[in-house]
Amino acid sequence: MSIITEIIETLKKTPPARLLTFLALTGALFIFPQVVDSPYALHIMILVFLSVIMGGSWNILGGYTGQYSVGHAAYFGSGAYATMMLMQFREIPPWFGMLAGVAAAIAAGLIIGSICFRLRGPYFVLASIAATEIMRLSALNLKDLTNGAEGILATEIPPLSIGSALITDFSTKAPFYYIGLVFALAIIGVTWLVQHSKLGYCFQAIREDQDASHSLGINPGMYKQLSLTISAAFTSLAGSFYAVYIGFIDPTTVLSLDMSVQIVLICIIGGIGTIFGPVVGALVLVPLSEALRSNLITQTLISAGLVSEESPVGQFLKENLAHAHVLIYGILVVVVILFMPEGVLGFLRKRLAERRSKTA
Amino acid sequence: MDSSSLQPLLLFLQSLISGILVGGVYALIGIGLTIIFGVMRIINFAHGDIMMIGMYLTYNLFTLAGIDPFLSIVVCIPLMFLFGGLLQKVFINRVLNALPQNQILLTIGLGLIMSNTMMLIYTSDYKILTTEYSSGSFSLMGLSISQPLAISFVITAVITALLYWFLMKTDMGQAIRATAQDRQAAQLMGINVKRMSIIAFGLGAALAGTAGALIAPTYYIFPQIGSSFTLKAFVITVLGGMGSVIGATLGGILIGIAESLGAVYISSGWKEVLVYVIFLLALLFKPSGLLGKSRM
Repeated sequence: MSIITEIIETLKKTPPARLLTFLALTGALFIFPQVVDSPYALHIMILVFLSVIMGGSWNILGGYTGQYSVGHAAYFGSGAYATMMLMQFREIPPWFGMLAGVAAAIAAGLIIGSICFRLRGPYFVLASIAATEIMRLSALNLKDLTNGAEGILATEIPPLSIGSALITDFSTKAPFYYIGLVFALAIIGVTWLVQHSKLGYCFQAIREDQDASHSLGINPGMYKQLSLTISAAFTSLAGSFYAVYIGFIDPTTVLSLDMSVQIVLICIIGGIGTIFGPVVGALVLVPLSEALRSNLITQTLISAGLVSEESPVGQFLKENLAHAHVLIYGILVVVVILFMPEGVLGFLRKRLAERRSKTA
Repeated sequence: MDSSSLQPLLLFLQSLISGILVGGVYALIGIGLTIIFGVMRIINFAHGDIMMIGMYLTYNLFTLAGIDPFLSIVVCIPLMFLFGGLLQKVFINRVLNALPQNQILLTIGLGLIMSNTMMLIYTSDYKILTTEYSSGSFSLMGLSISQPLAISFVITAVITALLYWFLMKTDMGQAIRATAQDRQAAQLMGINVKRMSIIAFGLGAALAGTAGALIAPTYYIFPQIGSSFTLKAFVITVLGGMGSVIGATLGGILIGIAESLGAVYISSGWKEVLVYVIFLLALLFKPSGLLGKSRM
């Protein structure tokens, strides 16, 4: 009960304008698929939601508890593999597989956490990478269980029905849109709770100074593990969602170091340790990398007359730029770390505050 | 004793020797990482990608100019030194006082830029550099030894010895070691710390690039090869003790042996798992590494 009163108390303190904006935006997002029926627009939105879930769940551990795990692919992969293995090999529908994935991710988190949380700083980062690499190599080598390097391809998704009433058969993108939206809102809600609850204060105390918080009676080992449990559970949901939506997984996509780095970057680019940082990060990253992937940038350059389509440069860009959408992640992270160390959101806030103090 | 009872022993010695030979090159990558860490206290996540650039440099010198891969290190070392120095001057020097996680992310970002730029230029196809001695081998006391691995081991040994002499005996080497020991005190003694940092990163990059050149004849060359070598370099440096050159040499050879024996006695798929398990155990039970106390 105390949690509910706590929530209401904090909600009362939030400026009503901000609360209304949030509710209005959420409402708009729920109506969006009814108004826009372009599958491509929905696809982009689904990718944004996926990134929000990934970045948001890392944010709980990295942003609020200060544990820079570069091994979140372990939990993403747990969700993806549990869901796909149960769906393809045992014909268990993905919503049960999703729960199995969460359980697997929490179990993996317990093992990885018990090893890694004894270490700090760069050693923690390295240990989290090594633990995830062990999982990737295991998935690659346990061919009977995971299909090895071939990966798992989803043949068909069983329709979702309650009793005899069919809810959806996943033939369009709309059900994925709503599932993604609900998960994304859930992680935003959990982040909000973490920011304002006693549990979250313990997380933040550990982030600010682990030894000082320990001397004040906070058990860092327990709270770090708790934070990882929440983070791993949501990362696993993102993994399950990805697996069912994309329909194909293999160790080099869902369990790779690149996946771990991508999860961290969403959060870093947006703004670490803030509720809406991962949202901003997703809104920056997804459209940019999609524009590169779909050759939008090359086409714009060509149609703007900057590069001729027949010229060798134009040909080269047309053929290769699509493959290098990860390049944008690299450039963005370098720019963000050098010029906006608090992320895009922190940078904008600072600018806004500067402007306000000037006009005042 | 007949020869069949000697067979297991021969197999063991054979894999031990090839492990040591490969380990020599691993050591070179590890030493580069450990020098950068020692001087800057920064873990360079782009280390494997720098090595990958060295591989492509050698590949180009070989295919375009016909320069032998082992000879190409004469070009590779100065070019990679300049490249590393430039990276330090333009990027890393700006974050020396930033949060450690931001430093790590910056180097991750730089690594992503390197590997994806190379992918833009060379596509992600696997390239193979074949020389006439690529698959050559000679036999030594009944053991067959790969020719390119043996040559690269000799070159590695010479470079390591030269580097050790440079760090121990020259004024600049001493200045680098002083910076590694205590940055502030070194600065108070009149050492140009920023310059030493640039030289240290240049050295690290040159070593990684050289390692890339040396393994170019025996490995596939592709833009994403870097990250697995970055991880290997971490394992080696942590095993040897962060910042210790001798430790990294030892760590490199140990990892080479572990991989080679793991491939023979467990399976080639699981050999890397063995490396990471050793790594985690080392982190847990001996986090300062085998030679952790002596810094460089």
